[in-house]
Amino acid sequence: MKILLTGLLLLLTYNCIAQTSIHGRVTDQKGNAIPGVNIYLKGTYDGTSSDPDGTFTMETGESGTQTLTVQAIGFRSREITLEIKGQPVTLNIALDEAINQLNAVTISAGAMEAGDEKKSVVLKPLDIVTTSGAMGNITAALLTLPGTSTVGNDGRLFVRGGDASETAIYIDGLQVGNAFGSTTSNVPTRNRFSANLFKGSFFSTGGYSAEYGQALSSALALNTLDLPLRNQGDVSIMSLGGGYTQTLVRNDRALTASANYYNLAPYQSLVKQNFDWEKAPSSWDSEVSLRQKWGNAVTGKAGFIKAYFHTEGSNMAIWQKIPGNDGRGDRVKLNNHYNYGNVSFRHSGGKGWLFYGGAALSDNRDAIQFNTDDIKQVNRIFHAKIVAVRDFSSQFSVKNGLEYYAKSYSETLSNQNQTRQFYDNLFNHFVEATYYFSNRLIIVGGLRSGHGTLAKQTWLTPRFSVAYKLNNQGQFSFAAGKFKQLAEEKLRIYQTDLKNSAATHYILNYFIVNNNRTFRAEAFYKNYDKLFTFKGLASTPKNIALNGSGYAKGVDFFLRDKKTVKDTDFWITYSFVDSKRKFAAYETKVQPAFAPKHNGSVVVKHFVTAMKSLLGTSWSWNSGYTYNDPNLPGEMQRKTKAYSDLSLSISYLPKPNVILHVACSNVLGRQNVFGYQYASQPDEEGSYAGKPVGQGAKRFLFAGLFITLSKDKKANQLNNL
Amino acid sequence: MKKLAQIAIAIFFTFLSASAQDSPYQKAMKKEIAKLIESDSLSALQQSANAFGRIAELNPNEWQPAYYQSLAYTFQGLDKSLSIDKKDEVLAKADKLAQKADALSKNNAEIVALQGFVLMAKLNADAASRGQSLSGPVLQTFGKARAMDPKNPRALALTAQMEYGMARFFGSGTEKACGYAKESLAIFASQDEQALKAALSPTWGKALAEKMAKTCQ
Repeated sequence: MKILLTGLLLLLTYNCIAQTSIHGRVTDQKGNAIPGVNIYLKGTYDGTSSDPDGTFTMETGESGTQTLTVQAIGFRSREITLEIKGQPVTLNIALDEAINQLNAVTISAGAMEAGDEKKSVVLKPLDIVTTSGAMGNITAALLTLPGTSTVGNDGRLFVRGGDASETAIYIDGLQVGNAFGSTTSNVPTRNRFSANLFKGSFFSTGGYSAEYGQALSSALALNTLDLPLRNQGDVSIMSLGGGYTQTLVRNDRALTASANYYNLAPYQSLVKQNFDWEKAPSSWDSEVSLRQKWGNAVTGKAGFIKAYFHTEGSNMAIWQKIPGNDGRGDRVKLNNHYNYGNVSFRHSGGKGWLFYGGAALSDNRDAIQFNTDDIKQVNRIFHAKIVAVRDFSSQFSVKNGLEYYAKSYSETLSNQNQTRQFYDNLFNHFVEATYYFSNRLIIVGGLRSGHGTLAKQTWLTPRFSVAYKLNNQGQFSFAAGKFKQLAEEKLRIYQTDLKNSAATHYILNYFIVNNNRTFRAEAFYKNYDKLFTFKGLASTPKNIALNGSGYAKGVDFFLRDKKTVKDTDFWITYSFVDSKRKFAAYETKVQPAFAPKHNGSVVVKHFVTAMKSLLGTSWSWNSGYTYNDPNLPGEMQRKTKAYSDLSLSISYLPKPNVILHVACSNVLGRQNVFGYQYASQPDEEGSYAGKPVGQGAKRFLFAGLFITLSKDKKANQLNNL
Repeated sequence: MKKLAQIAIAIFFTFLSASAQDSPYQKAMKKEIAKLIESDSLSALQQSANAFGRIAELNPNEWQPAYYQSLAYTFQGLDKSLSIDKKDEVLAKADKLAQKADALSKNNAEIVALQGFVLMAKLNADAASRGQSLSGPVLQTFGKARAMDPKNPRALALTAQMEYGMARFFGSGTEKACGYAKESLAIFASQDEQALKAALSPTWGKALAEKMAKTCQ
């Protein structure tokens, strides 16, 4: 009886503690321990976490066939089937690395991103407005980045020996025609779009994705803000004009409307101008943007639709001196009206599908009076695009897109009762595959094809890039590709069946971000082929053909440091470009005027808490612009003196919602020269009279007061400036 | 016989009280919540996150496991020893879990406050470059939580912390921040902590409110 009882007791005890022990170690594929791994039997509360040395021990009361789940951040989860029969189980588990988009290698060749979230950024959206000398102009801020050249009498983006028309600009993936304000020759222009519209940008100086075409040198993709935070009104009062923006937000939708007016006349009456203005530039613009969000990000089906409309008008009248002539010169009057509208969407459809696309229309009308000649130019670009991206796994995805462009251009010479025009249709398809071998190695291959009805040409342009991340966070990338572009409208109108010009890029890049320091070095080689050439003057070109060619090669460096000096953020850029090309009316290969050999810039921002102010300075420099002197044999024989501009700015925030911004360019008052213009005929002594092309004024001073009004009394009102 | 009846009744009551006891879910949650509040190291916080992950798997319709798992990752994201990359990695996880909790329990002030907390941790990871773009969204999210439940002491304490930092940055007065801290502390003092714990409701944040109130003095 006693024995029986003891036996029963033993059995009971055994039953109570009939626990099976499971233990082992979790490592990566190289045998390194993974701590903090979640290990548990599926469908039970039995589980544990691995120790710092990767070992784990757990007990379970379960028996039979069970599934052991092993999960760790940064690794792919594994499920292991176990047979639990009361015997202790020993397991050594090796996990595969998961592709982590946050930290994985990215293609940084040619690319410079501005954004808040991503790692590979060189600029924050805010930098564009706080960069001294940029005066809120997106382009001017980008000119402090490597690979660009400042051309002071033009104002547009010149990239690595390419002219300004070689950069294509996109808003939310859709092309923008005439993104820069219309202007007369040698009067610099600015980007039409306010920097406050955008949450980020992607600026590529070469080797870009198959998604971008009709650009020989560069692509600039600007992405507009998603949902604004709150209802607010923004008032701006500036030395050049003023404006008001109202934002209304409700749940998943938002409406923003703004209107601005600028007039340089009062400013120019106070500050001496070098240009002979009859009527100072003035402009107005108005914008409306609508945004609607839908779906739920957790369920995976969610999307966004944005509509954006921009309209503006501007006019100016200027007298431009003719070299060798004492008179006031040519009178140029310009009246511009510009409209841009786009509707874009983005939708993630679940199961790894993402769709995006939209349609955009740009319409630019210039009415020019050149002395007694009246010229009307109308340029229209319609762009539609649809893209599907499928993630087959976290490692492999394929992007497929279709695009259609309708372009039209017309030129009317009223006095001669003459009109020329053309209509062109472009069809494009692109496909791009991305494959992550690991978090360290990525390869992207793409192919873009196109067909133009006017050029009667079909083309294929392959693109390729690869990036490898080193142990120290640094990464190397290489990109290569072929790029095609049709000539500018103003030239095509003379010969509408002109085919594409071509460029080939090779780019090697090193990029490292560590602890608030960013360093980027890049070497490139770009080959140009079939560049357009003509005989005679640019205003009346003859014998237009694609007989030109050329190259650009060089290196550039970028260093940004927010750490070394307290409360100070600075970046230093140096770009070397060696470029020669036979193009336009040149008979030989020459260094273009827009490609200075050495280019540099330094930007410093320092926050002084006691003064509630952000102080900024920027200095930009290049080794001078080449120009053609008809008094000498050959072409482009001479070079201007070096260009240098030091600007200062201060942003004072007396309250979180009030900003006072004062900026001055070229504080040292240097007389920069961008080239020389010569008389078309020699004088009695047989020499051509010349005159320098200079700045509109010695300095440019800007002052603005920006106030944000919002009903949300409890919340602080941080402006987006 | 009387005795037998007494025993029977006793046994009956034992059963009754046993059935009134916690379910395995509640038991596991209570144990892990207590552990999480005590956690003072990264590995303890990871163990805690893992434990809530296991509970969440078995109870996919409860918001609390996802909430606490997210909280465990958020606390990790505030650990000064981690690199920015590592912080972003755990905070991305925290964000995802907070979204999951939000999908399970709509318009829950606790969860919205947590979402604000995750954002605030993201801001802290790289305050110099994220301050300007994230301060607005952080304050707005806390504001949303307070609008849903003006008496949520965590939303108030976190708002106090954020407002205090911003007031210092702009050199403006800290009255508003301190007002929130005081309000939060008063609510913490008036709450029945045991009842909240029994309901698996969040009770953390008192230390933060105390710290803020002290800083204000």
